[in-house]
Amino acid sequence: MDLENQKRVKDITEKHGAENVIVVLGAAEAEAAGLAAETVTAGDPTFAGPLAGVQLGLRVYHAVEPQFKGEVDADVYEDQIGMMEMVLEVDEIIEEMTDIREEFCKFND
Amino acid sequence: MSKIRIVHYINQFFAGIGGEEKADYKPEIREGIVGPGMEFNKKFGDEAEIVATIICGDSYFNENLDEAKAKVIDMVKEYNPDLFIAGPAFNAGRYGVACGTIANAVKEELNIPVLTGMYEENPGADMFKKDVYIMETKNSAAGMRKAIKTMAPFAIKLAKGEEIGGPKEEGYMARGIRKNYFADKRGSARAVDMLINKLNKKKFETEFPMPNFDRVDPNPAIKDITKSKIALVTSGGIVPKGNPDHIESSSASKYGKYDIQGFNDLTSETHETAHGGYDPVYANEDADRVLPVDVLRDLEKEGKIGELHRYFYTTTGNGTAVASSKAFAEEFAKELIADGVEAVILTST
Amino acid sequence: MVKEIERAGLPVVHMCTVVPISLTVGANRIVPTIAIPHPLGNPSLDMDEEKSLRRNLVEKALKALETEVDGQKVFE
Repeated sequence: MDLENQKRVKDITEKHGAENVIVVLGAAEAEAAGLAAETVTAGDPTFAGPLAGVQLGLRVYHAVEPQFKGEVDADVYEDQIGMMEMVLEVDEIIEEMTDIREEFCKFND
Repeated sequence: MSKIRIVHYINQFFAGIGGEEKADYKPEIREGIVGPGMEFNKKFGDEAEIVATIICGDSYFNENLDEAKAKVIDMVKEYNPDLFIAGPAFNAGRYGVACGTIANAVKEELNIPVLTGMYEENPGADMFKKDVYIMETKNSAAGMRKAIKTMAPFAIKLAKGEEIGGPKEEGYMARGIRKNYFADKRGSARAVDMLINKLNKKKFETEFPMPNFDRVDPNPAIKDITKSKIALVTSGGIVPKGNPDHIESSSASKYGKYDIQGFNDLTSETHETAHGGYDPVYANEDADRVLPVDVLRDLEKEGKIGELHRYFYTTTGNGTAVASSKAFAEEFAKELIADGVEAVILTST
Repeated sequence: MVKEIERAGLPVVHMCTVVPISLTVGANRIVPTIAIPHPLGNPSLDMDEEKSLRRNLVEKALKALETEVDGQKVFE
């Protein structure tokens, strides 16, 4: 995750408290999604940005995951994400995201 | 025993200062850790600690080798550490070259053990693996934790002067050093065993891998350049504005062939760079700064060269696998020859 | 890429800034250039001076192509 976004996530979390923040990702591949997810939970794995060594443990989901899909209007979802859903490796993404959450997320819901 | 004292060298990106636009950052030293140093200290535990971190921009270092080396060495001297660590640089070319160069310089001038880490295809690896210990890492910074996991204990071993094992067991790149040791079986017996395995199509491991020379002899010079057809090729990623073929900014999977017939000059309206490994501002303002079409057109008009070939070939050198660039060039070299090109100017950033 | 072009039989000159890299990868004719983000340019000069500088470097490259070399040579 780039430095700007890392800073934004950090600031928003400081302002509102980790329990009140959810991060939704749109990365095109499981690996990229995993890196971003790891950054907002366990800390920047490259140690180059503001979240280096900072363990926010936030709830983080990818837009194609059922936890997100189930919460939003089906028509809007189909409109905005339907196309990408067909092209992305959804299962791989779900697996990667679930692994990261299991290991690093502070909230168990 | 007191903690082992270490000075760490990193570039502007890992220091959180900025990306390419800050690659000209002059050397700076800070007390304690910056960026990845955090994870190093964590892994060192009580045995060692980074007492100072030196930050230097990759472009600054590579464009001012002597000055940068001297400055950094002075900075290291101030702290009088037991060990020096540079990087890890993964696949970042300039960073890897900087890490190798500075680690080697520190080793030679200050006589303390040094360590760095990078991906095997990093140009810095070939340049320095014989001189300094280079830990093998993944090809991207996502492998930071893993890299530090192997580098930290190795660093402590080095600092303590403990016995260092061979490259495979410790995880560093083979340095081509031959060490005499007494084996259980004599040479002839080992050779026969190896041969028997080979004949039986079983696995065997050579005791001495043949070095990879791969040098190509230079081709004869052009006799009369005023009559020759010259082609331009670049690894600087110059493409027509809009990058119509979507050449990647890094780890290119393809190259482009573009027509410059009728172009006397490349401008910010017509061309840009797709390369993500250097500050693109200057190339985007005027692509001639990387692909000198304007000058070659003038020379063509003046009769100083026979002709500028109408097509140029381009790709991005940033992190592109050696095998890929080899394949690209093999393919387009054939086209160049078929088109009657007699010589090539290849520009790199 | 430089080696493959040479291997195919075309004389090639490598214009690049970090000469040690070019030497290591095995280019035979090498012309050092100005800086990484602008090898054949210098934005601090005015347009004419810059073009002059560029021309100078390209002429050096052409000279290199016309020079017989025996292994690697850097044309300063």
